[in-house]
This record gives sequence, C-alpha cells and structure tokens, in this order.
Amino acid sequence: MTEEMKIKVGFGDTFRELTVRIPDGDIPPYQPGDPLDLVGTSEIRLDAVAKVTGTAEFTYDRQPKGLIYGKILRSPHANANIRSIDVSQARALEGVRAVLTTPDVFEDSTARYAGAEIAAVAADSEAIADEAVRMIEVDYEVLPFCVTIDDSMAEGAPKVGRGNQENVDRVSPRARRRRRGGEINADAEASMVARMKEREKTVDKLFAKSKGVVEGEFRTQVQTHAPLETHGVVCDWDGKNLLCYGSSQATFGFKRELGSSRGPVGAKDVRVICEYVGGGFGSKFSAGREGVLGAMLAREAGKPVRLMLDRKEEQTSAGNRPDSLQKLKMGVAADGTILAYRVRSWGTPGTGTGGAGAHNDGIYNLGEIDKVEYGVRTNCGGARAHRAPGWPQGVFALEQMMDMGAQSVGLDPIEFRKRNDDHPIRTAQYDIAREKIGWDRPRVRGGAATVCRGVGVASNLWFSAGGRGTQVMVRVHKDGQVEVRNGAQDIGTGTRTVMGMVAAEELGLPLARVRTFIGDTRDPQGPGSGGSTTIGSITPAARLAGYVAKQRLLEVVAARKNWPIDQLGLRRGHVTRSGDPVLSFDAACQLMEEDVIEVLESRKANYAGFSDTNAGVQCAEVEVDTETGEVRVIKVVAVADAGKLINPMLAESQVRGGVSQGVGYALLERRIMDSQEGRMVNPNLEMYKLLGAVDCPEIEVVLFDVYNGKSNTSVMGLGEPPIVATAAAVANAVSDAIGVRITEIPITPRKVLEALGRKGSDTGKKGE
Amino acid sequence: MKEQRHTCTLRVNGEDAAVVFAVHHTLLEVLREEVGLTGTKHGCELGECGTCTVLIDGKAVLSCLELAVECEGREIETVEGLMIGNELHPLQSAFADLGAAQCGYCTPGILMAAKGLLAENPSPSRDHVIEALGGNLCRCTGYHKILEAVEWGAAILRGDLASRPPPEVFHGDRIPGEEVVDA
Ligand code: FES
Ligand code: FES
Repeated sequence: MTEEMKIKVGFGDTFRELTVRIPDGDIPPYQPGDPLDLVGTSEIRLDAVAKVTGTAEFTYDRQPKGLIYGKILRSPHANANIRSIDVSQARALEGVRAVLTTPDVFEDSTARYAGAEIAAVAADSEAIADEAVRMIEVDYEVLPFCVTIDDSMAEGAPKVGRGNQENVDRVSPRARRRRRGGEINADAEASMVARMKEREKTVDKLFAKSKGVVEGEFRTQVQTHAPLETHGVVCDWDGKNLLCYGSSQATFGFKRELGSSRGPVGAKDVRVICEYVGGGFGSKFSAGREGVLGAMLAREAGKPVRLMLDRKEEQTSAGNRPDSLQKLKMGVAADGTILAYRVRSWGTPGTGTGGAGAHNDGIYNLGEIDKVEYGVRTNCGGARAHRAPGWPQGVFALEQMMDMGAQSVGLDPIEFRKRNDDHPIRTAQYDIAREKIGWDRPRVRGGAATVCRGVGVASNLWFSAGGRGTQVMVRVHKDGQVEVRNGAQDIGTGTRTVMGMVAAEELGLPLARVRTFIGDTRDPQGPGSGGSTTIGSITPAARLAGYVAKQRLLEVVAARKNWPIDQLGLRRGHVTRSGDPVLSFDAACQLMEEDVIEVLESRKANYAGFSDTNAGVQCAEVEVDTETGEVRVIKVVAVADAGKLINPMLAESQVRGGVSQGVGYALLERRIMDSQEGRMVNPNLEMYKLLGAVDCPEIEVVLFDVYNGKSNTSVMGLGEPPIVATAAAVANAVSDAIGVRITEIPITPRKVLEALGRKGSDTGKKGE
Repeated sequence: MKEQRHTCTLRVNGEDAAVVFAVHHTLLEVLREEVGLTGTKHGCELGECGTCTVLIDGKAVLSCLELAVECEGREIETVEGLMIGNELHPLQSAFADLGAAQCGYCTPGILMAAKGLLAENPSPSRDHVIEALGGNLCRCTGYHKILEAVEWGAAILRGDLASRPPPEVFHGDRIPGEEVVDA
C-alpha cells in the first residue's frame, strides 16, 4: 500500500504542490522550512583527520602477514595470437610461489593490444616477481594491427577482431539480435535500415525548410582516468573464503565478480574491503583481470598477494574514455527554433565496440533527430566507464553546433539555447552564469589583438536520483553509541559523511556522535559509485533507518516515562517533549531494556518529483595568445543542481573536481598511440598531462538547492554532471576569442595557430 | 635469486628505525614496507606525481627517486610525523577544515611539500604556493582548496590570523540562499 500525499517541490522562490504516492514504509521528503540542524550545513568530512594524518588505509597500504608480490606479464605486440607459453623457468626460480597464464585463466589466447595480460606470477619480493616475468617465454603469432580509428576505418584495414567481427559496427540504432549466438536477425536488420532511410528523408526535408543550416566535424581524444591510486588488489584466502582488499568503486560488484561460480575465481565466500580509494572516476567498478589474477595467485601461492598496477599499466590497461569523430548537421528556423539535427558518430572503446557512443543529444530540444553511431575496434586498451560516459565528448560537439546555429540566425548564444531548452531548472541557470562570467563585458576578441579574450557557454544534465537496492543499518546502543552502516565505498565524494549526516539529523545528534562504517561487504548492501547515484541511493535509506530507530527509542521513552509518544521528538542531543528538551539522548538510551536497537531499512522506489534530471550551465572565459597559440582558462562559472543540498562544501568539491578534469580534457590530456609500433607513447604522468595547480583556473560554483522530491532526501548526485560541459564551454570561448572554430580537443597551441592560419587564408572569401 | 641486502638505521620523524632492505630499494619502498609508515603514497614511482613527497633535512624530495641507502644519517620527515604532540599541525587542520582532501591520496605528499615551503618562506604568496606544489598532482579537487589551506595553515603557524581570516568553508553561491519562500 502506498500513501498519497501533497509535497512541495521546486527551488528559489517558486515552489509548487505535487501529489505523490510515497512508498509503503517510507517517510516524506525534506520540505522547505523544515527545521534541520545538520542537513544543508558544510560539516567537515568524517574521515578528514584520517586523510591528513596518513592513517587512512588504502588498498596499497594493506600488508597482511606473509604478504608476497604479484606481477603481470603483458603483451608487447598490438595484435597477436598466443601459440604457447613456457613458464617452466619462471616456476623454477627460487622465491616464486605461483604462476598463471591468461589462456588458462580466461580461456583467451589472443593479445589484442600492447599491454594485454599474458601471464602472472607471485613471488617473495617484487624483484623476484620482475625477474620471473622476464623468464616467461611466449611464442606469438604476430598480426597486423590498427591503433587509431582512422587506420581501423580505412579500406582494407587489418582486422582487429576475431572470427566475423568487423572493425566498424553500428551500435545505435540497432536491430534486434537472435537470442543465442548474438547474430543479427536479417529481417529485423532490413526493416531497421528502411526506418533509418525514412528518418534521413524526414530530416532532409526539414533542413530544406530551415533558415540556417550548419554543419561541423568534431574530434575528441582518448582520455585516461589516471586516478592517483592505481588499480589493484591485496588478496588473502582462508580456505575457500577470499578476503579481498580492492581499490574499488563497487565493493559489492567486486564481490559478485570474484564469487561468481561462472567466473574463474568462484570463491565460496568473498569479503571485499575498501575503506579508502585514491580515485576511480568510473574505472574501478570491476575487479578486472588484475583483480582476478591477484585472487588466483594468492590461492595458488597459499599466501596473501598484493597485485597493484604500476603507472604504465594503469595508463595503458585500466580504462579510458573513448575518442570520437562526430559529423553533425543542424537546421534552424528563422525564429531560432531548432528543426532538425543529424548525427553520425564513431568512437573506439578498444577491441570491442560497446560504449563508444557520444551523447550529443538529450539536453536541448533538437527537433527531429537522425542519429547513427558506430563503434570502431582498435588494438588499444579497452574503455571503462569514465565520469559521465559519452557526454563530455558529445557535448563538446553539440555545444559548438549550438553556437554555430545561433550565429546562423543572428542570435546571442545564450538566448538561442534558452529558446530551445525547457528544463525547469536550467532555464533559471543561464542568466546567473551569464552575469557571473561577465558575458556582456567588452573584450578584445575575434583575434583582433595579440592577446584576445572570449567567453563560451555549455550545458549539462544528469539522471542521478538514485534507486533501490541499497540498505542501511542503524544501531543505537544502550550506552548511547550510534552506528550507521553500509558496505559501499567512498571514493572521495563524501558518501560516508552524508550518510552519517542524514541519520544523525533524524536522531537529533551532532555528526561526531555517530560512528559510520563503510567499504566492507559484511555490512548491508550498497551501490557502486556510478551514475552519480551513490548519494541518492544511500541517503534515503540512511534517513529512513535513522527515523525508524528514533521511533523505536521514543517508544521506549514513552512507555517508561508514561509520556504520550506523539509529543516526543529528538533534537540537539535530547528527547524533546512538545519541543522542550526533557531528557538527554544518553539517558534515554539507558531506559532501553535490551542492549541495542537495530534497524535495517531499504531504499524505497523513487516517486514523481520536480524533475527527473538535474541540470547545469557553465560559462568559461579564456585568454588566447595569437602569436604562441597558448590558451589560458581564466575562469569557469559552474552553475549546478544537486537536488536538495546535504553538504554544500562536499557538493562544491565535486563541481570543482569535475571542472578541473574538464579543463584538462579541453587543453592537455591525450592518449597518444604510435601507429608504427602499436603502443601507447605516453603511459605516464609526464607526457600524459593532467591539470596542475599552475593551470587551474578560478572556478566559481553556484549551487541550486532544489527540493526535488523524488525520494525522502530529494538529493541528486553530482559526481559526473560538472565534467560534461567544461570542454565545450572552453572551446566556445576560444572560438569567441580568436574568431575561428577549433573542432578538436585537446586545444593545443599548434591547433590554435593552424586555425588562425586557416582563418588568414580564408579572408577575402565570402564568410558564411 | 638472492638480493643484496643492507642494514642501517634511518632517522624517521625524530626516531631511529633499524631496517634491513635490498640495496636497490627506494626510500619510498623502505618507509612503507620496512618502517611500516604507509602514509607516504605510491602514485607513479617515476617522479611525476608527488604523492611520495617527504622531507629530507627539511627539504621536500620525491622519495620514489631517493635510494634508501643514501638517506642514512639524514633527518627524514613523513606525514606521520607532522602532528605536534596530540594536536594536528596547522596545515593538517586547515586541510581538514576546508575540505582540501577529497579522496585523500595526494594529501600526505602535498602536506609535506607545503611544510617544506613554509620552512623556507613562512608567508608565501599564492604564486609561491603554486610553484612549491607544481610537482604534486591532484585528480580530485581542482586545487583551489589546497592552495587556500596552505595559506591558512601558514597564517595559523605565524600566529597571524588577524591579517588572514579563515577562508570560507563553502565558497559558492547558494540558490535560494537561506531564506525559505513559501508557495
Ligand atoms: S610516486 Fe614519487 S613522484 Fe609519483
Ligand atoms: S584528493 Fe584525490 S588526488 Fe587529490
């Protein structure tokens, strides 16, 4: 049974009433004007002291007794088949405890990128492990390869895949596949092709009717996650049971993977511990081959094994954001309404084709859309989900098209966006971003001087209300101790802290009074840190568990003191009666008959709320030196919506982090592959440039506090959205500054100078 | 395969530690594996990320590039030695209070680089701080709070809070601010 009730949703000075059906057993969401002591304040992270004193234990820091060291042998070839592997010498080396090979463990005898796992050893010291790896002899059948999408798409390109896998695969729209074997049903495919043709015609007709028609071709690079703590595990067996310390953003995902009876490890009971993780950004959902090998080496050796990737392995083999080639066309009516939009896009997620899509629709109303996406196989390390998968690359292209579309009908870029946007939150964000960046201030722009400035705008949206499948436990002890438990990890977002805050709020306690436990799969199930849904999934369960524990405690107090329960509450460390403190929290706990009140509550389903998506707008200001081609990002204004703000300081941190990664993506980061050798040229942090303190712009954050009402905490996660718009806003600002568009990131000085050169040679021709 | 091992006494955080280690081991490895101080982090072992920063004789160095055998007789300081008695060092409390540690993996190295800077220059300008932290990467924070925390920590150390009031914990604008408007 669900309860129907009226709630207020909205933000700023506009709230409206909404009738929603609150799921059975849930409590209504926070409402404007609720007396909240903790929620909405910038409480210091609960683990801040552990982090600044060096006592926070990361996976790399775990040293169980008897620890030995794992090391992976990787393929030097970009494309090869393994004919045979001779591990006899390695096995015979003194100090070597275990040796495994990929064909045995994964039943895979291919090495399809330089860096692919071939074998693994565990030994008493790292030096011995290194030596043993060198002694393994592999007989490869070396094959031709492609490491860039251009090479792979070229006529007669060597085949990356095996069997009948083509290098280029249409990934969307897709015809239905036959149940087994994954073959495409020929009839379904034929009718899909016919529908695509129809769509093409419809959109062509709309282009013909449009006042402005613009076209562009855009490219983005492969970006690696580059968390400062590399991937890896420390594994320890107790008989058939596995204890895995993993650098993880999904403790329960690791557990499932290593425990699955169909997987190579198949541990009977798996416990995963990850209390601290040095960044993940989407790349640490899976234990990966390194995790599987670490677990199996430990089992074979009968000793705990540490298998952490080194930096080179991290950069080549531990995931990345696919690149993209996007060909776009947009038709705009005279009044600025977008009538039609065409997308053809390609991207390479490595040797497969899934996850290559670039999301360049979905934010604005783009009229009729004709979109076809292709995945391209290359002999490169595989993609893993990367902070807002598909979005930064797609939005980079989309937002430049928006500027071009605006220009084609003579509209201001922000006005043009507003005309094609009806998001209830974002439409309120544009003018704030405009004002904060000083959009309308005069600037030397358009390449009119040596040093020019420009501004650019871009938007984002996200879907991070969270969902079911999470449970939180609250325990109130007779001695007044309170525990809040969930087994998910905190990858630096502040999950631990916000979980504690919402529970402590219900119990009327200061945050320091609750003890939080996270990152251990012995505790109740929690989500992976993905889709920015962690906070939206955990906090409603934590709040509900806190609420139910409060009710249970108050029942005890009411019975023992003979006070009517409906007059009782908990606030500021006390039981209140009709609002007045009457008994300390500790004294109330003393009234308990049993030692502990234990409550386990589940995250209930979402209900109708204010908006299913959260929104953001960013504006960037850049300075470009037209002689050197150097681009400096001066300032980024990031207007973001996190639903109801639980902790503004933590929310702000997420936005800053996302923007700074976005600036790096726009200007610096790029995986470089050598087409001759087939290897990554820059698998380090010297040649693969991350944004440093020197290059980091001023970032001004504006947070919308939205009573979203989709769950009892109304929260929307904020990990991913801030990175979506940044590179696009920077690119638009650069073209504003120099008067010519740069259609490829990273925007290096060379590309700026080339673009200025193109512009120079274009003068005299009729401008479009 | 036998590794050549070396026995010596290292002076870490004001205490002597007798250690035995393979001669080719870096200070980073010896601190973490032999001395048992894992606060100093591995990020690359290539001298490119700064997570392994420690102080040797008061100067910030990358411990992944130092051979441990060469550190005998020198004063080594790591993040574990930063606390003053039972109190957090002002840099530590500033980092905690401002939220300058996100995942926290870069934090120990950055704290040590900052301490090295303040030993030379107790009142660094923003540019000085940026320069001193030039070799320390952070993938999470966007640096701003780190820079502010270093400056604030410096002010606390100088006992100069009058001229440098604590920075705001939360910088952004918040819409709708504190007021609550009814429908
Ligand atoms: S580990 Fe020493 S600089 Fe990266
Ligand atoms: S806080 Fe994560 S790397 Fe700096």
